[in-house]
Amino acid sequence: MKFEHTQLANGLMIIGEVNPSAASMAAGFFVRTGSRDETPDIAGASHFLEHMMFKGSSRRSPFDINRDFDAIGANYNAATSEENTVYHGAVLPEFDQKLLDILADMLRPALRQDDFDTEKNVILEEIARYEDMPRFRVYDKLMSEFFAGHPLGQSVLGTRQSIGGLTSGQMRDYFDRRYSPDNITAVGVGNFDFGRFVSKIDDLCHEWRPAQTSRAIPPPPNGRRRRVIVDRKLVREQVGLMIAGPAAQDDRRYAASLAAAIAGDDTGSRLYYALVEPAIADEAAVEYNPMDQAGVFLTAISAEPAQAKKAVNIALDEFGKLRSGGPTEDELSAAKNKIASGAAIQGELPMGRLAAVGFDWIYRKQYLPLAGHIDCLLAVTKDQVMDVLRQYDLSAPTMVSLGPLEAI
Amino acid sequence: MAFWLEIRTIAGLSETDSEINLAEKFHTKTFANGLTLLAQEMDNVGSAAMTFQSPAGASHDPDAIAGAGYVAYEWFFRGAGAMDSRALNGALDGLGCQHHEYVTSSHVVFGASQLGRNLAAVLKIYADILRRPRLEDANFGPCRELAVQDLRNLQDEPASRCNMLLREKFYPQPLGRCVYGSEQSLAAMTPERLREHIGGRFGPAGAVLAVAGNINWDSLAGLVGDLLGDWPAQKQTSPVKPVQAGGVLHVPKDSAQMHIGLAHKAVPFADKRSYAARLAQTVLSGGMSSRLFTEVREKRALVYQVGCSYNSLKNHAGMLTYAGTRPELAQQTLDVTVGELRRLADGIEPQEMDRAKVQLRSSLVMHGESTSARAGALASDWHHLGRLRGLDEILGEVRKVTIDDVISYLRQFPAEGLTMVVIGPRELDASILGGRR
Repeated sequence: MKFEHTQLANGLMIIGEVNPSAASMAAGFFVRTGSRDETPDIAGASHFLEHMMFKGSSRRSPFDINRDFDAIGANYNAATSEENTVYHGAVLPEFDQKLLDILADMLRPALRQDDFDTEKNVILEEIARYEDMPRFRVYDKLMSEFFAGHPLGQSVLGTRQSIGGLTSGQMRDYFDRRYSPDNITAVGVGNFDFGRFVSKIDDLCHEWRPAQTSRAIPPPPNGRRRRVIVDRKLVREQVGLMIAGPAAQDDRRYAASLAAAIAGDDTGSRLYYALVEPAIADEAAVEYNPMDQAGVFLTAISAEPAQAKKAVNIALDEFGKLRSGGPTEDELSAAKNKIASGAAIQGELPMGRLAAVGFDWIYRKQYLPLAGHIDCLLAVTKDQVMDVLRQYDLSAPTMVSLGPLEAI
Repeated sequence: MAFWLEIRTIAGLSETDSEINLAEKFHTKTFANGLTLLAQEMDNVGSAAMTFQSPAGASHDPDAIAGAGYVAYEWFFRGAGAMDSRALNGALDGLGCQHHEYVTSSHVVFGASQLGRNLAAVLKIYADILRRPRLEDANFGPCRELAVQDLRNLQDEPASRCNMLLREKFYPQPLGRCVYGSEQSLAAMTPERLREHIGGRFGPAGAVLAVAGNINWDSLAGLVGDLLGDWPAQKQTSPVKPVQAGGVLHVPKDSAQMHIGLAHKAVPFADKRSYAARLAQTVLSGGMSSRLFTEVREKRALVYQVGCSYNSLKNHAGMLTYAGTRPELAQQTLDVTVGELRRLADGIEPQEMDRAKVQLRSSLVMHGESTSARAGALASDWHHLGRLRGLDEILGEVRKVTIDDVISYLRQFPAEGLTMVVIGPRELDASILGGRR
């Protein structure tokens, strides 16, 4: 396993983790942009633009992109979050140059008006699809409540109104500002030659002109809000809880991921025993999500409406007990083993390493092999987990509920 | 819970979807009690994954207590041997064991991934779970209650419910039945009745343990022999007699999208023609240049999600198609989708066939890197074919398939007499489905 990195003159960063014993390779272009970088009048533009990237360039028609990916048997996708947009694919080693040719070409899109008009309808379908997914609706609303007034509170999906009103000119303007080469990192992992990887990207991308890209990073809010969304069409009650957590740049992120696993992993956690094992809720899970100079712990609970209030109270009570008493040594060691084992298994696939290697660089300008991450995790002490739990109080969250209940 | 919005949804490998295999170090051993151990030693990995398939899937549930297999596996984890629920779950967590369980038509499946060095300790715990579950009365109620809640969740998740109802309607009953049972059958279930069912169905006869990854065959075979070799065989119950299904079902719901599920007959995995069926499915739905994605989404923007998967039980199989669309576009979506399913039999371009073949080759090799995908594929091969296939064999078979073979297959298994389930506010004109349903 060997790490390499270099930078083109226009600022495009290229990094790679080379593993000659892998059977495949994966590559991705990580663009440091998402809904937090939008203004309210273009809400949803990052995600809509991600779709438009598949609609062709000066060299390729919309259908060419899809055909070329499929012709090399690529396992490919693209995804947008609040702060990143990633275009990625995994292929057999013989196709790595062709994969780069498609990915790099996509990133200089034609943004043709008729394609824009057609794809807008696909985005409107996607919005309708998420309206039928209560868990997504809770997450979306929880982020907007917790981060009210902060860029991270801006919806990735946007609304029917914002997407309906978006023009291709606004999208082009957003693209010009955000898809600057110095805001993009090309990442390769698995079985490939880094020298050839770099020269291919250089050929394809050296003419990209840098723009002055910046991101507003106001301090995250730490208010506590409550929002009850009544939807009588729903049978079940979904509840989301959110508090602040360590940022992606904070070394306490290892302790934070352990705290989340101890509090609310799928198996053997405090919430599992307090809520799922006795079937008070069928889902009760805590997740830690580190972001750019911000972070959150989020808790998802799904229950019968008649049990929802009880479930929330039990969860808050469990969080309070964990905060005052701390985890046991057994709990800490089980959480470490679960996370380390999961990371090791995921790390056996190039596709599994791609995000880890990419985000290490995006957030921290660092490379750490998987074994290094596991060492950091295993070195966390009980006191360090306690420090995180004391600073970030899981029992005092912002809460959003969605379902038939009028109050909770 | 954090969400990334993706350009498309890619269906996960369903339990019956992993018909793919790598050549290499295979081992098999069948014990006197009927348990079969399958293994693949893999280089360059630290993990070892296992899949235990108990022939106690939803189609084997007694009608009166349908959902039995689903409630049973939850109950198994509430204490076994000397360990109560907390000790058992704590022990698995302490070994970094990532486990998940699910029920298919034919099996209750216990899957577990961990580092190879912890496999032996995990297997010892699973021997307790499978052979010495406590099945205490006090723990039964919550296990059943979780199944009730899963059923109720489906009311709020129309896309999942559509998929569930489609299988129920398409496959002969009880082969496609909902794994959670019904509110009535769950209410009728008692600890005594479920224990009796478990005694009759959960045993070594017909069960398969598949292991792949960082393992040593000799020590694995010795350990499994010690742990499970003297497990007495359960009494086998008589095979079910499936009753033909099909038809059209509209479930009225005030949802944002119309969720449309379609199914038509395909050839089971065990049939040689399944390679042609797999290529047909890949041309239809393999990537973003596939027929359905191009015609329904890219050209007409009727949907965000459309796709077709090839699903096989032991003796019955189907092409299952899903499209989600807004009500005003639903009739057009249905008509265009069915049109594309049929148009495939009119001809396939050589380039389309080439793309489908390279996609299958890539996915074969990439699945070969994942220990859990490998363990699942070993068990699937054994279930469907009664043997394990190497990568060379599968690639060779795929390579041999011609466009004429695929067209000939499509004429034998046309998209006619389709089963349809629709969830949403509008009723659709189903006359396009054609033929006998």
